[in-house]
Amino acid sequence: MSAPLRRLVLGSAAVAALACGDIAAPSRIDVYEWRLEAPSVPPPGLDTLSFHWGKDDLPVRIWVEDADGLPGHMAHAIDVWESAFLYGEFQATLVSDSAGADVVVVAGDPTTAVRAKRLHSASAPECSGATDLDVDVENRRLRLPIRLFIAATLPDVPGLERCLALTSVHELGHALGIFAHSADPRDIMFSDPGVELPSARDQRTAEAAYHTPPTLEVVRLEPLE
Amino acid sequence: MLRPILIPALLLAAGAGALRAQTDYYARVGAVGAGTLVRDAIGEEIRVRQSIAPMVALGASLPFSPGYRAGIEATLASGGFDAEQEGIGDTDLGTLRTASLLLGLDGPISSALRWRAGVGGLLYWPSEDTGIFLEGGPIRFLAGAGVDYRRPALARWDLMVSARYDFHRFTTDELERRGFTQAQGVSRVSLSVGLARGIR
Repeated sequence: MSAPLRRLVLGSAAVAALACGDIAAPSRIDVYEWRLEAPSVPPPGLDTLSFHWGKDDLPVRIWVEDADGLPGHMAHAIDVWESAFLYGEFQATLVSDSAGADVVVVAGDPTTAVRAKRLHSASAPECSGATDLDVDVENRRLRLPIRLFIAATLPDVPGLERCLALTSVHELGHALGIFAHSADPRDIMFSDPGVELPSARDQRTAEAAYHTPPTLEVVRLEPLE
Repeated sequence: MLRPILIPALLLAAGAGALRAQTDYYARVGAVGAGTLVRDAIGEEIRVRQSIAPMVALGASLPFSPGYRAGIEATLASGGFDAEQEGIGDTDLGTLRTASLLLGLDGPISSALRWRAGVGGLLYWPSEDTGIFLEGGPIRFLAGAGVDYRRPALARWDLMVSARYDFHRFTTDELERRGFTQAQGVSRVSLSVGLARGIR
């Protein structure tokens, strides 16, 4: 084989080697259960409830009560969760009018709500949070808005701002579709979160939630009878 | 590292004396299409693709031996990109600009046709640092080749029609942070038309 031909063959082989192979996606098996188990109707048994915002629902409209710095904390929480997704699965924006909002964030403890499934979170001394999901009796429909409650239990104590910030991230995690708590304290969706940002496992779980067909249908109507 | 780019660029920019008369300049507009940027699977397969994007190309070259020239070519393209997933459809991910710089050689095929080949870099410049570009747009090594067709159009200007193929391997810091390994081979093809200052 002549030298020029050998160079051509070697060069072609090098280009072919460069061209071979695709990007390899990571394993996403390390997730926790994000779905909510609820008593089935009629009993006995359990229904597994799952939900995520659809493409047509985006951006999710979030109204936040202007108290305890919650608008700033919720804006941060939106950035955090939007960054958890690679393909634009979740987007949200703050709105100034609570009418028609998909998610309502209230400063204070949750009020009694009929039919709401309540996810209690964050029992730190400084603050607490809860998320109310208004699911119909057949466990098929989720009536909007989803209500988040974030309460400063000890005003003006050190660590309050951090507590409000991570609780906002945690409760928004529920509102985007992670209805269950992680058993690992390194995750933001641990029932009493101590970390400020979603872990890799939180991100993978959120991705899994958004790439699994939901069981709940969103309803934007007057209160269900 | 920048010397191979800067020296020819400065020489061309200076365009001094005899070089100026032999320097070939051109500008073209056209469109570029690219292959899949990312393949992923979360339940269903996900593919991130760029739309066919309008582009502009600027270039210049100098002779270094009879019939052969060395030059530099820059392109800028801007289009959309989206994520395609079965059952969910396409999700618009915004605007993605790319800029390339190629140092290359060209030579004759026939009187009106010339081949061109080069290597350089390709910068991804998304409109927002989100998703796969959360840590910013990468710069990737680029290799390309193509052909130019030229015919006299005006007194000192030629009509120039060009076809290009180039190849690079795509990944981003954010994809690597999330555990993606290797990189996606991406081919790009462009067609463009423009004017070149005739060297006759």
